[in-house]
Amino acid sequence: MALFRNCLDFLDFIPLFRKVKSKLATLILMSNSATVSSSSIWAGGRSPFNVSYGKLMMWIFLLSDAFTFSSLLVGYGAIRFSYAGSSTPWPEPANVFNHFPFMHGMHLPLLFVSLMTFILIFSSVTMVLAVEAGHRNSKKEVSNYMILTILGGLAFLGCQAWEWTQFIHEGGRLSHNNFGLTSEALAKANALGFGDHVHWEAADRVPGPVPFASLFFIVTGFHGFHVLSGVVINIIIWLNVVRGTYERRGHYEMVEKVGLYWHFVDLVWVFVFTFYYLI
Amino acid sequence: MSNHHTHVEGEYIPETYIPHAESHGTKSLWRTFWLLLAITIVDFIIYFVAPASLFRNIVFVAFGIVKAVFIVGIFMHLNYEAKFLRYMIILPAIVFLSYLVWLLLLEGNYVSIAKYF
Repeated sequence: MALFRNCLDFLDFIPLFRKVKSKLATLILMSNSATVSSSSIWAGGRSPFNVSYGKLMMWIFLLSDAFTFSSLLVGYGAIRFSYAGSSTPWPEPANVFNHFPFMHGMHLPLLFVSLMTFILIFSSVTMVLAVEAGHRNSKKEVSNYMILTILGGLAFLGCQAWEWTQFIHEGGRLSHNNFGLTSEALAKANALGFGDHVHWEAADRVPGPVPFASLFFIVTGFHGFHVLSGVVINIIIWLNVVRGTYERRGHYEMVEKVGLYWHFVDLVWVFVFTFYYLI
Repeated sequence: MSNHHTHVEGEYIPETYIPHAESHGTKSLWRTFWLLLAITIVDFIIYFVAPASLFRNIVFVAFGIVKAVFIVGIFMHLNYEAKFLRYMIILPAIVFLSYLVWLLLLEGNYVSIAKYF
């Protein structure tokens, strides 16, 4: 093998070739590139990304998952744009997602979903603190931060279940929704202030665009399924932490890998929040 | 194992290679958390203060992208990874997604014009 690895070394007498080789070495190896001789780069035996196999695969999986979510959100954007000027316009998020637990009948758009965003961001920071504690091999801290992360994930799932319940209760279905408002009701809705009392009669509601409710279920459902699987994976990894599996292994890289997945779930939520609730 | 190893024949086994991980401290993590929280609060305020407009939507999307940069860069640790890994993850996403967004939003717009105008 060594014969093939070093098969281009005979060109070392050309100064330009040596220069290109060392430039490549600097590119490929961020760390301590100055001390690496160019011939050892070409001899193999290094991780070009300076990352473990498992973590690299996790990154590639997350990239593909990012494209899946993007296709859903971009499709959402295209369909929403295609309804501009329609007699059944796209519903205003403020008129649909305006509920908050124990605040029945009040117009509180964006409040509940901001709380959900806060919960997810907070569980993200506890996850990254668990990863940081793992770098210091502090088993106790990793375990505590992972418990907080799991609790945050469960709280988020509970919020989402409540959100879905409200949405279905108001008439959202995969193939139908009645979130369209008559022009009189729309004028009333636009005059609503934060915290005002709101009550819609059946006559105020008309069928809205079908993809609005359908995509809501699919996109938030797909994201919620990611959160659910993230919580399950976190619980499994937490059990391993408590049992001392990673302590014996000498490193907590598994925590880093599930951490990547968990932050990705947070990342997707940033865009679901932006496109479903803000715009 | 360390990423500062000098090459020894037979030392590197790709499937089991774990680079040595170092803690960068918790300061930047908490800073990122407060930043993400602040942006979310500013989003909330803008939503009620500014009337709906294209500009407001652009601001929301820009804030979303800023949040994404900090989540990926600091929380997911991509800022500290090797340069090749960074570009392998970031470039396909930027190139294909910006193309896809441009293409499909334009198409949605055409559908709307064809149907309703």
